[in-house]
Amino acid sequence: MSLLESLRFTRGDTVIHNLDPRVKFLMTLVFFSVSVLFLEIIPLFVVFIVQIPLVFIAEVFDEWFKSIKGAGFIALFIFVTNMISFYYFRSGDITWDLVEYSIALTMRFIVLVTSFSLFFITTSPDKLSLALEKAHIPYEFNFAFITAIRFVPVLADEAQTIMDAQRSRGLELDKGNFLTRIKNYIPILLPLIINSIRRSLELAEAMESRAFGATEDRTNLYELKMNNLDYIVLIISIGLLIIAFYSKLYLPSFPSLLGTGPVFS
Amino acid sequence: MGIIEIKDLCYTYPQAENPAIKDINLTINKGEFILLTGPSGCGKTTFCRALNGLIPKFYNGEMTGQVIINGLDTADHSTSELSQHVGLIFQNPDNQIFALTVEKDIAFGLENLGKSKETMYKEIDWAADVTGIQGLRQRATHELSGGQKQRLTIASVLAMHPSIVVMDEPTSFLDPVGAEHIFDVLDQLNKELGITIIIIEHRIDIAAKYVDRIIVFDQGKVRSDGKPVDILSNEDTRLLGVGIPRILSLAKRFRDIDLFSPLPLTADKFYGDVLSRLPEKKGKIKNKLPFDLQELSGEHHHKPIIETKGLYFNYPGNVQALKGVDITIHQGDYVAIMGENGAGKTTLVKHFNGLLRPKEGEVFFEGEDISGKSVAQLARKIGLVFQNPDDQLFEENVEKEISFALRNFGVKEEVIEKRVNWSLNLLDINQYRLKSPFTLSGGERKRVALASVLAWDPDVLVLDEPTIGQDYGQKERLRHFLTQLRTQGKTVVIVTHDVEFVAESQPRIVLMAGGKVISEGTTKDIMINKDVLEKCSVAQPEITRLFSRLCDHGIPEDVVDVDEAYDILSRKLREVSA
Repeated sequence: MSLLESLRFTRGDTVIHNLDPRVKFLMTLVFFSVSVLFLEIIPLFVVFIVQIPLVFIAEVFDEWFKSIKGAGFIALFIFVTNMISFYYFRSGDITWDLVEYSIALTMRFIVLVTSFSLFFITTSPDKLSLALEKAHIPYEFNFAFITAIRFVPVLADEAQTIMDAQRSRGLELDKGNFLTRIKNYIPILLPLIINSIRRSLELAEAMESRAFGATEDRTNLYELKMNNLDYIVLIISIGLLIIAFYSKLYLPSFPSLLGTGPVFS
Repeated sequence: MGIIEIKDLCYTYPQAENPAIKDINLTINKGEFILLTGPSGCGKTTFCRALNGLIPKFYNGEMTGQVIINGLDTADHSTSELSQHVGLIFQNPDNQIFALTVEKDIAFGLENLGKSKETMYKEIDWAADVTGIQGLRQRATHELSGGQKQRLTIASVLAMHPSIVVMDEPTSFLDPVGAEHIFDVLDQLNKELGITIIIIEHRIDIAAKYVDRIIVFDQGKVRSDGKPVDILSNEDTRLLGVGIPRILSLAKRFRDIDLFSPLPLTADKFYGDVLSRLPEKKGKIKNKLPFDLQELSGEHHHKPIIETKGLYFNYPGNVQALKGVDITIHQGDYVAIMGENGAGKTTLVKHFNGLLRPKEGEVFFEGEDISGKSVAQLARKIGLVFQNPDDQLFEENVEKEISFALRNFGVKEEVIEKRVNWSLNLLDINQYRLKSPFTLSGGERKRVALASVLAWDPDVLVLDEPTIGQDYGQKERLRHFLTQLRTQGKTVVIVTHDVEFVAESQPRIVLMAGGKVISEGTTKDIMINKDVLEKCSVAQPEITRLFSRLCDHGIPEDVVDVDEAYDILSRKLREVSA
C-alpha cells in the first residue's frame, strides 16, 4: 500500500514538473526500455546515476525515497529468491556471477520503480488528462479518470468516519476467525456503497447543472504546448534510446565486475 | 412578466404515490432575493430542481404545468441551455466540485459549453473576484475549508453568467461566521449585479436579515408568500414549525404597547425602535442573581466523569489537531463544545471513547486512565452519535439497526427486545419499526441513529452536530429530549455551531480554536464575551447582540433567551413610563 501511496502527485514548480507530460512519459519509457534491454550491472547503474539528479531537480527526494523504501521489501525478495532458486536448480554452487546477476535483477527493479515514481510524483492528473485528450481518448473516460482521483481523499475520509461510527456502536473489526472478520466489514461496506450511489446521483445532477455534454466541441482551460526544453529532452531521450539499442546489437556485452569464481571456496 | 413564471406546476416523482409539489403559481421578478422555507419534506428542494429542468428531465416522473425562465419554457430547453440562465447550487459542496484545482473547477461549465480560452480566463477572473477566492485559484480543491469550497461552488456557477442563482441550504456545513460570509457574497451579487437569488435555508435568523421575500412551502404547496416581517410574524408560519427570528418573537410580545412598526428582524432595528423609551445612558450593570443558581443546583459538586489532561493529537502528515487540551466534564453535566470548523472539536470527542488515542496526554473516565481499554469497552459507557446518520445505517429494518450495538455488546435476547422497544418509543419511531432505514426522511434517519445509541443506555451521550439540517420543529423536539435525558442523570455533550440552540438550552460551553480550549463557562458568561467569540468564529445570539447595546441604559448584558429578555425589558419599560 505504501508503495502505491508514495506514487501520489506532489505539487511543485520545477523543470521536471513543468515538462510536457508526453515528453516525460517518453523519457520514462526510455528508462524502462534500457533497463529491460540490459541485464548487466554497468548499464543499469548508468541509468540509475542519470535518474538521481532528476529526483533532486524535481525536489521530490523524500517522496522518491518513500517509494524506494516501499519497494525495498520486494527488491530484497527478488534478490533472495533469485539466489536460492539458482543455487538449487542450476549450479548447486554460489558463484560470483550468480551474485552479480541477482544484483542486476534487483537493480533493474529499483530503476523501474524510480522511473515510474518520478513520473507519477511530478505529473499532475490534470496534465495527464490533457495528454490523454491529445491521444484522442474520449472525454468521458478522461472525466472518469479525473473524478476517480478527485474522490479518493473524500472516500477515504468517509470510510474512516463510517468505521468510527460503527466502532462506537461496539463493532470489533479484529474479533473472531477469518470468516467472522470478513463479516465484520459488512456494516462498513454497506453504508459506504449506499453513500456512493447517493453521491453519484448528486454528482450527475450537478454535472447536468453545469452543462456537461452540452457541445461536442468541448474546450479545455489548459493546453499542452511543447517548449524548447521539451524538444531538447525529447531529442536526448530518443538519442539515448538509439545508443542503447546500438550497443545492445552491435557492441560486445559489458564485462563482468565480480568474475565467475565461487563465492565460498 | 417576471424572470421566473410558474403556472399550475405539479410534479410526482417516479414510483411515488403523492405529488411532491402541486398547484404552484408564482411570479418572481428580476433582482429579488427570496428565501424558501417550510418543514422538512415540504417540496422546496423539488421546486428548485424544477427551475433548471432537472425536473422532469433528469428525474422523469410526471410534471404538469409550466415553468418559464427568462422567457424560456423549461419543457423545450435542455438543462445545459438553462444552466446559463439558472445556476443551481446543491447542499454538499464536495459533490459538485469536479476538478483538482480551483481555477479548473470554475472553468468546468465553460469548458462544457465550448468557450474560448480568453473568455474562460476573463470569466474565471471575474467570478473569483466576486466571491473573494482570487487568492486560491491555484490551490487543490480537496485542501479547501468548508467555507472556501462553498464559495468555489458559487464562483463555478457564476462563471456561466446566470441571471438567477438558486441555492439549497448552502451554509449547513459552515460555522456561523462562515455562513454570514456566504450571505454577504450573495447579498453583493444581488445588490450590485442585480442577480435574482433564491435560497433554501433553515438558519432563518441570518437569512431574514438579507432577503426581501419569503415563500413558505407546506405539503408541496405554497402556504404563504410575502415580505419577511409579514410572513415571520404570522402565527401560521410559527405553527408550521418554521424558526422565527428571536428578535421578532421578542418584539411580538410587546405588541400591546405598539412600540414597533413594522416589527424588527434585527437587533439594530429593535434597539433603534426602543431607544426613545429607554432611560439615559448609564454605565453597564451586571445581571447578578443573589446567589449562583448553578452552584445551588450542585452540578459542580458531582464527581468528574470525563477528564483530559494535556491532550495532543496529530493527524497523518503532521497536522496538529489538538495542542494541549485540558477539560473536565462532571457527571450530569450538559456541555456544548463550540468553535470554528477545524478547531478540533470532533477530534476531541473521538478521544472520549478511544477512537483516537492521544499522541501525548491522558484521558480519564470515572477517574481511570482509558489507555488500556478498547473502544468497545468504552462505548458501552460513552455513546457517540455521529453527525450524518448515513455513515452508520445499514440494516434492513429499523428494529435490527437498533439492536445491532446490543448484539455487539452481547446483551441477552430478552433484554434486547425490551431495550429496542424502549428506545423506539423514546424517540417516537415505533411506527417505522419494520421499515428500511433508507426509506425514511433525513430527520427520521437522524432519530434512528440516535435511538441505536440510546438503546444500550450509555452514561454519557456525545452528539456531533445534532441540529445540522434539522428544521426548527425537529430542533425543539431534540432540545426537550436532551432536557429529559438530563433529568435522568445522564451526562450530555454536544458539538455544535448552532448558537441559537445553545442560547435556548443553556449548556456549559467549551470554546475551542486551533486545537486549544480558549474559554469555558456558562452560556451567559461566554456569550457576552465578544472578543473570545470572535476568535472562535462563533456569532453572538441575536438576543445577546441586542442586550449588548441595551446594557448602556442600565439593563444587564448577559441575556441569551427570549423569555428572560422579555421579563427584563418589560420591567424596565414599565419603570421608565411610571
